[in-house]
Amino acid sequence: MARGSTEGDALPREAIAHVDALYRLARHLAGNDRDAEDLVQETYVRALDALDRFEPGTDLKAWLMRILRNAHVSAWRRSRRGPRPLEAVEADDAVPPAQDAFVRGDLALEQMRAVVGTEIEAALGALGPDSRTLVLLHLEGLTDREMADVMGWPVGTVKSRLSRARAALREELAAYARRATP
Amino acid sequence: MTCAETRDLVLEHQAARLAPDLARLLEAHLATCGACTRVDRAERELTELLAARLPRTPAPPALVRRIARLSPPSAARRAATVTRLRWALAGASLAAAVLLGTLGVSGLLARHASARGAAAVTEAINDHLRVLVAQRPTEIESGGAHQVKPWFEGRLDFAPVVPDLALAGLELRGGAVGYFLDRRAALLQYKLRAHLVTLIAFRPDGLPLEDAPHAARGERGFHVVLWRAGPVGYAVVADVDPRELEHVAAEVQRAVSR
Repeated sequence: MARGSTEGDALPREAIAHVDALYRLARHLAGNDRDAEDLVQETYVRALDALDRFEPGTDLKAWLMRILRNAHVSAWRRSRRGPRPLEAVEADDAVPPAQDAFVRGDLALEQMRAVVGTEIEAALGALGPDSRTLVLLHLEGLTDREMADVMGWPVGTVKSRLSRARAALREELAAYARRATP
Repeated sequence: MTCAETRDLVLEHQAARLAPDLARLLEAHLATCGACTRVDRAERELTELLAARLPRTPAPPALVRRIARLSPPSAARRAATVTRLRWALAGASLAAAVLLGTLGVSGLLARHASARGAAAVTEAINDHLRVLVAQRPTEIESGGAHQVKPWFEGRLDFAPVVPDLALAGLELRGGAVGYFLDRRAALLQYKLRAHLVTLIAFRPDGLPLEDAPHAARGERGFHVVLWRAGPVGYAVVADVDPRELEHVAAEVQRAVSR
């Protein structure tokens, strides 16, 4: 990784360029701005400690996202004194991939466009943390391979869970759309 | 291609990441399968809805300043600061820095801006390379700017201008939707003699862009000119002489400012 040229031991320039993307993911994982800031700062602290383990040629953004996710899981365990529950993920898995209301044709796609930003944030918040992470990583432009690296899962698992997560999100959005449509 | 295989690849196809042969097979299946077409449309609509409506909150400037000041020797101490004292101590530290002089803070902000600028040059070249390598770079083949511009409606959360640069010797070949850094972007491809020129239009929020195109910057044998014109940022990339690329950028600026 190219290092910042202005200050010897400082963060690489490219790493700082991803701070907005990391903060966006952190907000949706942490649930509030203060914890999101903590999470992003801890991510960069961990990244600095692990700089020598970054593999040149791999994606820096995905590497930072993986550190952020691991930091979030660690924080969860510290605060809850136990493993992160899996109920939310299993609930998302209850929705078959791409068999949601929009795909079935129960609801017009035009109705989904009626939802506003805060409702989309709320719908995302209703997903399990892993599903939320996948949806956001995909939105940030990561490939299946990069998402697999972040999550520590096989690519096939990422594909199927992303499909289920997006179907679950559409179901959540459908509820808002129905409320918004008289 | 089966329905299961198609649905497995729909998102990659929409991101223009499939090999041309595979993309053709998928498109052939979509042309004959109503169920998969509905899946394709629902996925595309969701991506566009999220890109357009989900708030994209930037990192607070104070956080950026704190991160820019991190360095490896102090990493352990700062981790302790995060977990034990949270932002009380960090805030006091920042206040002390401000009292000591604003020049340091200005330097940090300038460094953050510089980092984003360098990343933008790299990303512009990567986008150009993705267009070249894809060999199927355009989702809308050009019949002229009047056909390409309407195609972007509903696909982006801003309205890109599709400049007609024929008088400058550039032939519009088509366009596609892609990513520039962390945001969706319009990718327009032009031909200039034997060279391909990529014009990228994107939302410039948070990027340190000048208000007019100036000097081209080089990397890996390519040159890039980056600037903003009102609410839209532009990057023009090609492997041509930097002076010639600056001329192209000036023509683009003239066209989008009309």
